[in-house]
Amino acid sequence: MGERDIGLEAAQRRDGGGEPAGQGGSGAIIRVRNLKVAFGEKVIMDGLDLDVMRGEILGFVGGSGQGKSVLTRTILGLVRKQRGMIEIFGEDVDRLSPPQRRRLERRIGVMFQQGALFSALTVKQNIQVPMREYLDLPPDLLDELAMVKLDLVGLPQDAADKAPSELSGGMIKRAALARALALDPEIVFLDEPTSGLDPIGAAEFDDLIVTLKETLGLTVFMVTHDLDSLYDACDRIAALADRKVIAVGPLATMLASDHPWLKAYFGGERAMARQPAGKREQSG
Amino acid sequence: MVSVLANIGEAVVRFGRDMVGGAMFLGEVVVGSAAVVLGPRKFRGPSLVNQVELIAFNGAPIIMLISFLVGCIVAQQGIFQLQQFGATAFVVNLVGILVLRELSVLLTSIMIAGRSGSAFTAEIGSMKMREEIDALRVMGLDPIEVLVVPRILALIISLPILTFISSMAGLTGAGLVAWLYGGIGVDTFLARLQSVITWKHFAVGLIKAPFMAFVIGLIASIEGLAVKGSAESLGRQVTASVVKAIFMVIVVDGLFAIFFASIEF
Repeated sequence: MGERDIGLEAAQRRDGGGEPAGQGGSGAIIRVRNLKVAFGEKVIMDGLDLDVMRGEILGFVGGSGQGKSVLTRTILGLVRKQRGMIEIFGEDVDRLSPPQRRRLERRIGVMFQQGALFSALTVKQNIQVPMREYLDLPPDLLDELAMVKLDLVGLPQDAADKAPSELSGGMIKRAALARALALDPEIVFLDEPTSGLDPIGAAEFDDLIVTLKETLGLTVFMVTHDLDSLYDACDRIAALADRKVIAVGPLATMLASDHPWLKAYFGGERAMARQPAGKREQSG
Repeated sequence: MVSVLANIGEAVVRFGRDMVGGAMFLGEVVVGSAAVVLGPRKFRGPSLVNQVELIAFNGAPIIMLISFLVGCIVAQQGIFQLQQFGATAFVVNLVGILVLRELSVLLTSIMIAGRSGSAFTAEIGSMKMREEIDALRVMGLDPIEVLVVPRILALIISLPILTFISSMAGLTGAGLVAWLYGGIGVDTFLARLQSVITWKHFAVGLIKAPFMAFVIGLIASIEGLAVKGSAESLGRQVTASVVKAIFMVIVVDGLFAIFFASIEF
């Protein structure tokens, strides 16, 4: 199969992406196969496979230092992989020319753990950075667009001209999400979106992500520690341990798993308190 | 004994890696600059103007002050020593050549390495710590183009200007001391200066300035991007940036001295 075929296939999928939100469409939007990442002698992941389906919220769990963030960064091309294949929108990222790569990056939004807002710019300017880079629009329209994005993530309009240092933790996360959504991406990567938020703020953020998924038809890849997020927001969960994805599926699969780490994770006291809610979701 | 040898070995390996890393980074900067030249749309004008203001405008007073003082000191010492041979007047040759060829560009470069180089490293380093650099990358923006090229360009524009200002301040200081301490009148000082100093001496200082700027900017950027997650790491890289930049400025100045001597400039 030549590269042209892949391109055609990708184009068809892109057309498919134009369907009304919510219908989702099937098939993997991200495919990771046989991935190996190592820093020097230390092997972080080896032989890792993962599919992210179009239109789902995939929660990605794993112990601290197991490489959850590393996988995200590898998919995004920030960390070099030793071996394996990563396909996004049906295109092998290694075979893309730089312009193709840029077009791909346009369709992906990323929210980093600490927000990673540019501290020298205001919130509005932060949201406009990707717009300025890719769109050729007059300033007043850019302002209007930034306000729409602020609204979308539930930030007040007067947050627009504040510096990131003036915002609270929850507002920083929302502003970072607004920036991630600036170019109407199809996939959003969230690195621990609810870490550092109080339970109310975290629950609100989960609701926001679910709402955005349903209204915008987003695919969400979410690295998280937060059991509540896993129970309330995620369609499927993938668990990372022993340098591999050891289990992937809805919550029921996780709860039924025999793997000691998963048993400890989902069988702990904090998780047990959530169990009834989880059961309800299973039957419902 | 063994550990001393091991340390020396490690230092040599580290130096080698620094050199290779520096060469690779130099390549990236050249590619980034080329991208800016080929696609002027990518040129970040406001960022450049802002940086020039920070470096040249805000840096000028302190550089004028230290150059003035060093000019005074050199002139005073020169007069004091030359008096013994009855050759006080030669202090003008001494000061003129020394200030224009070496002192102004060295003082300026060292001051800028400490003032602006450290700021670059800290800025880029803290952006690295907060994942802002990664955020740029995933937006398809090249950190070299966005952060490094405007800063290095601003240094290359600012340093010759500052070197010129430094020269004038140094000569003013020397002239003042020659007049008050050495009894050489201002008109005599200027007349002698005019006969001794050719445009070559003036040019030597200014030619060196952009190279110094490039070295300072390159080292500051490399060290900034080498910052890891912790605050200690930031402090360490800022120190390394200033120390390496000052060291390299003096090495480059030495190379230029050999070069100019051999072409008899």
